[in-house]
Amino acid sequence: MSGPFIVDAHAHTGAMSMFFCPESGAAELLARMDRLDIQCSLNAGSWTYLMGGGGEELEGLRREHEASGGRLLYLGVYDPRRGREALRELDQACRRPGLAGIKIHPTFHRTPAESPGYEALWRFAEEHDLTVLSHSWSSSEHNPAQALSLPGRFEVWVRRHPGVRLVLAHAGGRGDGRAEAVRLAREHRNVYLDLAGDIFCYRLVESLSGELPPNKLLFGSDFPWLDPRANLSRILLAEIPAEAKRRILRDNAQEAYQLNLSG
Amino acid sequence: MDRRVDGEAPGLEARIEALALERRQQAESLRPFDANAWLGEPAGFPLAREMQPPELLRALRGCGIQAALVSHWAGLRVAPQAGNSALAQALGGAGEALRACWTGLPLFPREGGPLPGAGSLPLAAGAVRLFPRSHNFPLAYWVIGELCSWLTEHRLPLFLWHVEIDWPSLHALAVAFPRLAIVVETQTQKILYQNRALFALMKDCPNVHAETSNLAGADFLRWAARELGARRLLFGSFLPVNDPWVALGMILEADLSWEEKRLVAGDNLRRLLPEARA
Repeated sequence: MSGPFIVDAHAHTGAMSMFFCPESGAAELLARMDRLDIQCSLNAGSWTYLMGGGGEELEGLRREHEASGGRLLYLGVYDPRRGREALRELDQACRRPGLAGIKIHPTFHRTPAESPGYEALWRFAEEHDLTVLSHSWSSSEHNPAQALSLPGRFEVWVRRHPGVRLVLAHAGGRGDGRAEAVRLAREHRNVYLDLAGDIFCYRLVESLSGELPPNKLLFGSDFPWLDPRANLSRILLAEIPAEAKRRILRDNAQEAYQLNLSG
Repeated sequence: MDRRVDGEAPGLEARIEALALERRQQAESLRPFDANAWLGEPAGFPLAREMQPPELLRALRGCGIQAALVSHWAGLRVAPQAGNSALAQALGGAGEALRACWTGLPLFPREGGPLPGAGSLPLAAGAVRLFPRSHNFPLAYWVIGELCSWLTEHRLPLFLWHVEIDWPSLHALAVAFPRLAIVVETQTQKILYQNRALFALMKDCPNVHAETSNLAGADFLRWAARELGARRLLFGSFLPVNDPWVALGMILEADLSWEEKRLVAGDNLRRLLPEARA
């Protein structure tokens, strides 16, 4: 194939209030995708949606999917503090094209990942064959709430719902969470890791590629928090076989999110 | 797995390798000069591993980086004098590709040991970094004015991590010393939630520059180059904590002219270190 071929498994769109971000919309994301050979991006929700927005935000993602010609797939957000409402919105979204999974964020939503508040979400994901993408990180002195998203907290769910694919975003972060994330991905067929965010550690791609089964690591940008270029070049230039790069840049996202990419 | 994609695999892999080769060749031709490489045991990054000078040089060269301004973690975690001594010893036989970035302290009260402004600097010294927050002094004229005058006189740029400063104090200092080149470094956390302050500071103070190892927001490089000028941006890798291809890749792929990329990748740092021979 000669056109764009990369899958960005973790992006966002929409205005960001907490930092200057001149270009954060769907049109700007698409322009970067064209520029960087990215065929398809998974939009894991706007800042507003992640921070408690609901149906209108989900509808906005669906409109961006349509306007993109299908290149921007999207994830619905499940906030356990508004669980019933969120599931009702997700149920409607399942009947329309473009929904690729569900995003959860225990840190933003101030709810431990193992909380019973997530039980209904996991059952819903199993019933509808939807992938769950969750924020994951390490213990942090700067942000103690990151402890709510430590990878080990998810194990109860991946054991109880082995049919649900779980993608741990940021591969557990830059500290003690990484080893746990790797362990989960090695021990559980349904656990994947994405590289989104500023986990810019030296030789991270090489070490994760060596530690994980070949189908478990996904390229993600975390646009617009981060520029897709930051993680893209380090994968292209990593000292790993071309086959492994292909899997990270495309095939593994296709498997984890059951994407049916054309062209 | 989609069988059709598997059938395309060999072509995609050839394409991926071509993209990688193209980037590697472009990186070398940019003649990168890294503003942010480190020796010693990293502080605050438990998964990062110390590198000795030969290994650091190999890792830099592996990314096409010709030279680097090198700091020592002991200057932060032990004492500035300890870091400077360790750096002088480590770089003694390392050749001209590695230049030293010393750690400084206020010149009063006078403290012993090798410190910038308190004795002669070795030839390889190219810059000075302060850690005001960690070393417990305010970034104020009445505390570091004498040191800033000395740095200006010796044409040595001042490096500062953004997590070590407060923005009003840095602005006041930059205004008070307009001929002192100041480099705001984007460590040890990404500079994102602070970028409104950073860019406003750079607009108001032409002597302020930004190091790019963690200036990773969407198209920040292009925006900063257009609004503030490519001469204000300095490539840094933060090796061995970070992967140099992150910051280098952002420059390679940025929507900048080739000349602008050369400036950011290394020529700006060469200009700030006029005695650099690398």
